[in-house]
Amino acid sequence: MVGKRTARDGKGPPITYRPLPPAISPFHLGRDSGEVGTTELSSEHAVCLWISLFAIRCEVQRQPELHGQEVALLSNDDTRRIWETSPQARRAGVRPGMSVSQAVGLCPQIKLREPDPVYYDEQFSNLILALGDVSPVIEPAELGRVFIGVDGLEGLHGSPEEQVNAVAAAVKGGHMTVAGNKHPYHSLPSFTTMDRPVWSSWEGIRLGWARGRFVAGVAATKAKRGAVTIVPDTERAGFLASQPVEVLPIDLDTSRRLRQLGITTLGALVRLPAVALVSQFGKEGHHLWLLASGETVDPVVGHETPEPIVAAIDFPTPVTDRAMLLHALDRLIERALRHPKRSGWRVLQVGVHGRQEHGTSWKVHVNLKCPSADRNHIAAPLKTRLEQAPPTTAVENLAVEFTAFVRGTDELQLFARDAASSARAGRRRALRAAVREIKNRFRYCSLCQVVEVHPQSRLPERRYALIDYDP
Amino acid sequence: MTPRPPRPGRSDRLRPLNLPQPAEVELDGQGRPTAVNSIQPPNGGTAEQREKGYGQERRAVESILEIWRVDDEWWRQPISRWYAEVVLEGGMHVTLYEDLMTGDWYIQRP
Repeated sequence: MVGKRTARDGKGPPITYRPLPPAISPFHLGRDSGEVGTTELSSEHAVCLWISLFAIRCEVQRQPELHGQEVALLSNDDTRRIWETSPQARRAGVRPGMSVSQAVGLCPQIKLREPDPVYYDEQFSNLILALGDVSPVIEPAELGRVFIGVDGLEGLHGSPEEQVNAVAAAVKGGHMTVAGNKHPYHSLPSFTTMDRPVWSSWEGIRLGWARGRFVAGVAATKAKRGAVTIVPDTERAGFLASQPVEVLPIDLDTSRRLRQLGITTLGALVRLPAVALVSQFGKEGHHLWLLASGETVDPVVGHETPEPIVAAIDFPTPVTDRAMLLHALDRLIERALRHPKRSGWRVLQVGVHGRQEHGTSWKVHVNLKCPSADRNHIAAPLKTRLEQAPPTTAVENLAVEFTAFVRGTDELQLFARDAASSARAGRRRALRAAVREIKNRFRYCSLCQVVEVHPQSRLPERRYALIDYDP
Repeated sequence: MTPRPPRPGRSDRLRPLNLPQPAEVELDGQGRPTAVNSIQPPNGGTAEQREKGYGQERRAVESILEIWRVDDEWWRQPISRWYAEVVLEGGMHVTLYEDLMTGDWYIQRP
């Protein structure tokens, strides 16, 4: 049986706090990612939190006059295309991927807006930070969809229903009931009750609880707005069997092929022998069969937040010159950013400490409004504070410390700078694929790359040259 | 279909870019360019280049942005050039130079 209940009700008897037995580790220490200092945590049982139309919701929240209107956001890469539409615009026939002229033709009153990926990403980062209060195993999948590992949380939050309630409470920014006490949510560093995140008031958040990331994701998509779908372990196979094949992570072509073969549900897919799928779809077919049958459990994989990163310098002679201090600050931030542990993370909190003559000290601490991995962006508020409250005497030692981080670009691909870099990465991938195809067909590739030779040469023809491009 | 064999000798190597092309340049009394004749970019140029004036018979110089001279590499093959960065009629932005060793004029992208 698939249990359903609303995420908002949060009713039920008070939960008794049961401390975890010391012998049981709540999370599996997963495989090491290969990055220095980033051990992965994994969890088989997962809650999927899905907020559909996340970007549109952010815009409507920011511009209330758009509420209930036909709104469409333009694509970040191609402003002639629609990226995301409000439900009203969708009802008028406007679909993502359409050209703007098509959209206006279908819905003349549509309100078109440029996307603000920085803002959306900031909101999503805050959401992930908030969920960190429920579980340390958080895996963002895309903007508005995040998986939360819940293995071992039954001792803290209780049954699956209570676990999803804890997640819903974290999202709502209200109070979580743990051991009968009310814990004010504003203890989170990302915001206070005076500065509530935009998503805290949203209705229509969907949650799914199940064993395995895939099943939890499907469960969330099957939940009604503001509701939860819980799939007990014993019901996984039955739940999956009734789902359409489109829930599988497949492209449109594969979906079409499956439909042409008369396979419309995961149950029909599983009835086929796995080898038949392998012969049709290769390795992907085997993976699809395992997912559809529920025989494989794909865990949620989180990343351990890095420890604080410190970069320090001892001045040979105590420094009073402001310009030298600012220069040292820039260099230290640069050094801290280059630290391997920082890789994949953006800095949220940064501090500067100075040891002064006569044993006194000086300290500045800043919460960045927008997490960043950019030196200038991090340095700007510190420099302002340095101007406002400079060290009182000469500084003997200066240290920069990054103390809080949020996930970087590899998972949140809509951050504006990240969007640009992911677009570049996408272009590179497309280019590599094109080169492969050309090579397969013609055995050689005549693509060239422009490289700098002597960019400052006074002879224009010596500044750049072409070299064979072979990625 | 038999696949085409790989081209021989296509190893990684630098190939020059933005090589100067010969051009005929009309000068005023002070030796400054006033028009460019027979602008022929390699391979006929792109549609945009053609629209802006490449391939035209004669284009007047609308303005001269900068003038400089380069005397270099006297120890091997001396280079002595008089450069003028100009905007041609139609908005095309080019660099013209006179090879002072031979008296020939060339055109290239800035």
